[in-house]
Amino acid sequence: MISCKLIVQNTLGIHVRPAGYIVNIASVAQSSVELVYSGQRINAKSILNLMMLVIEPGSEVEFLINGPDEQRVADELTELFNNKFYEDAS
Amino acid sequence: MLHKQETTQRKIFVGKAASPGYAIAKTKLIVRQRFTVSQLKIPKENTANQIEFFRRGVWQVKKEISNLRDLTLQMAGKDESKIFDSHLMILQDPSLIENVISLIRNEQWNASYAFHLCMQKLIDTFEKRDGIFKDRALDLKDIYNRMLLHLSSGENNFVLQEEIEEGVVLVGFSIGPNMLMHFDKEKVLGLAIDSGSTTSHVSILARSMQIPAVMGLGNLSESIHAGDLLILDGTNGIVIINPDENDISKYKKQIEVFQNQKLELSTMRELEPITMDGKYIRLNANIERYEEASEIISFGATGVGLYRSEFLYFGRDTLPTRSEQAEAYRKVTHQLEPLPVTIRTLDAGGDKMLSSVSMETESNPFMGWRSIRLCLDRKDIFREQLKALIEAGDRGNLKIMFPMISSVSEIERAKDIYDDCCAELKAEGLSIPKIEIGVMIEIPAAVMIIEEIAKMVDFLSIGTNDLIQFTLAVDRTNGKIAPMYEPHHPAVLRSIKLIVDAAHKEGIQVSICGEMASDPLSALLLVGLGVDEFSMVSWCIMECKKIIRSINYDEARAISYEALKFSDANSINNFLRKKYSQKIKRLGISSFIITQDFSSSDRALVRVDGQIERIGV
Repeated sequence: MISCKLIVQNTLGIHVRPAGYIVNIASVAQSSVELVYSGQRINAKSILNLMMLVIEPGSEVEFLINGPDEQRVADELTELFNNKFYEDAS
Repeated sequence: MLHKQETTQRKIFVGKAASPGYAIAKTKLIVRQRFTVSQLKIPKENTANQIEFFRRGVWQVKKEISNLRDLTLQMAGKDESKIFDSHLMILQDPSLIENVISLIRNEQWNASYAFHLCMQKLIDTFEKRDGIFKDRALDLKDIYNRMLLHLSSGENNFVLQEEIEEGVVLVGFSIGPNMLMHFDKEKVLGLAIDSGSTTSHVSILARSMQIPAVMGLGNLSESIHAGDLLILDGTNGIVIINPDENDISKYKKQIEVFQNQKLELSTMRELEPITMDGKYIRLNANIERYEEASEIISFGATGVGLYRSEFLYFGRDTLPTRSEQAEAYRKVTHQLEPLPVTIRTLDAGGDKMLSSVSMETESNPFMGWRSIRLCLDRKDIFREQLKALIEAGDRGNLKIMFPMISSVSEIERAKDIYDDCCAELKAEGLSIPKIEIGVMIEIPAAVMIIEEIAKMVDFLSIGTNDLIQFTLAVDRTNGKIAPMYEPHHPAVLRSIKLIVDAAHKEGIQVSICGEMASDPLSALLLVGLGVDEFSMVSWCIMECKKIIRSINYDEARAISYEALKFSDANSINNFLRKKYSQKIKRLGISSFIITQDFSSSDRALVRVDGQIERIGV
């Protein structure tokens, strides 16, 4: 299992579109992908779960990834977060 | 999400000409929101069915949203279409689906109530939030509405927000055949629908009800307000929102011409459908409901060539009883006696689902468990229908037709069941009428073994819609490849020739039912290929009769045989136009269903702000 801590760097936080990007990565993974935020642990393959958390900009989230492709998933998520969900790029 | 613009500007939309005619009237928006969520405890043994029903709903809504996304992508661009990707993701969210299924399985709630509970909780949560998250509640509501519409047995529970009081044009994203039937016929002056095509069921129905219709208008319903004046041109596939005086006066003239044409065609009613050199071509009507039987006579039909019996099964949770069916069939056979009435046995599945029969979601329903395949598996349903048909055959001239035949053994098995039903009814003391049995040829495999099939039956009927779709491997409802749906493809024409030749060799007749029969060019081509009968929406009959009465069979035959020699549809179309366009124009035939592009040279189209503007109406 990999634990991967990431900072939400875009200006709007994890609203529907960033959540969609996360689901895009998590849902095709063979590994289980969970997200821990302010004491809650949810399945990151569910866009609704992600949206319900209302993850604020600037906050830190932790992904718990467990399975054969865990490293690849962690890398992809890291890239997504570092690119600010491709939102503030201008 | 597309937002309505507060504007009363004149705007022109171009869609598919689905049913000819014109209307100048106010807009009535069909709001797809009202439905009732019933709260039911379901028996344990039925929970699996409910779960399946729920999954099917998800699948259907997924298709619906995907279509909307593609249309939006075409009409408005990538950014606007992205929201539908999120909708699709929410709809298929694993935790949502799990929750709903567990409520059905463990709490034994019905699917619509289980979904309602889960979504309402989510919507409430989001509505309490601020700003950007609050907006998501709107997305959830959209999905909620779409799903509930399907789960609360779809369009049957549909009600208009208010009753129609004056003549209006109905505008909406989509409209189902049953929905249309709920409205007062006199007050619906036209249909302008965002989705669908000329072969959608509702288009067929609109033509039979003589309501002008334009389908596939993209995002019209999002761009118009209730009460907006609009011009609907079902002959050319055009809608003008808030027309100016110029438009209105032009169209008023157009309406007058159209009415006169209709009047003139009605003189055809009493005349025989016979070519100038004396070949009689039977012109039958397609019907879906027994109520239509009385109308077809007024259109000069020579009988019913296709009675779609499945409409008896739609929009209800139980199967129709034998006596109920027999009564419906009798109303047609008795009323039309001695005219022939061909009733097609249950043709459900594919895009036509029954709520009374448990059907699984199929990834390829058109090639799935439908029609005769369903009937041969569910013999209980098939037998009840066959017995009802035999009972209804006591008077009149009834013929029975099996759809979707792909093999000899299917015909053998269907006929065995039929014989068995006859024997049982005879034992009950009924005298068994002589009923002709035929099959529909709509699968290429059946064409390849047509000589064997022709030996087994009393008549053949070619279902061109499916035959074209399966021969060309083109889904006629998929807008992206719709131009490939080419009725005059040489593969289709040569198939028809094979069928006709095999039938005539056995001394039996061939009928054509399907959209092709009601297209003037196609009709001429088919007459030339030797087709004996046509079956079409009734309003097309007089027009077709006028054409048939104007040609020599020998000439048509020579032209059709010449057309068979071409190797692509384009050359065939050009050849046919060269041979026939003058004649068709001279006859003043105004409706072109398949060969719409016939008059495209008269049309100049330009794009203005993403909308298609037509110059010089």
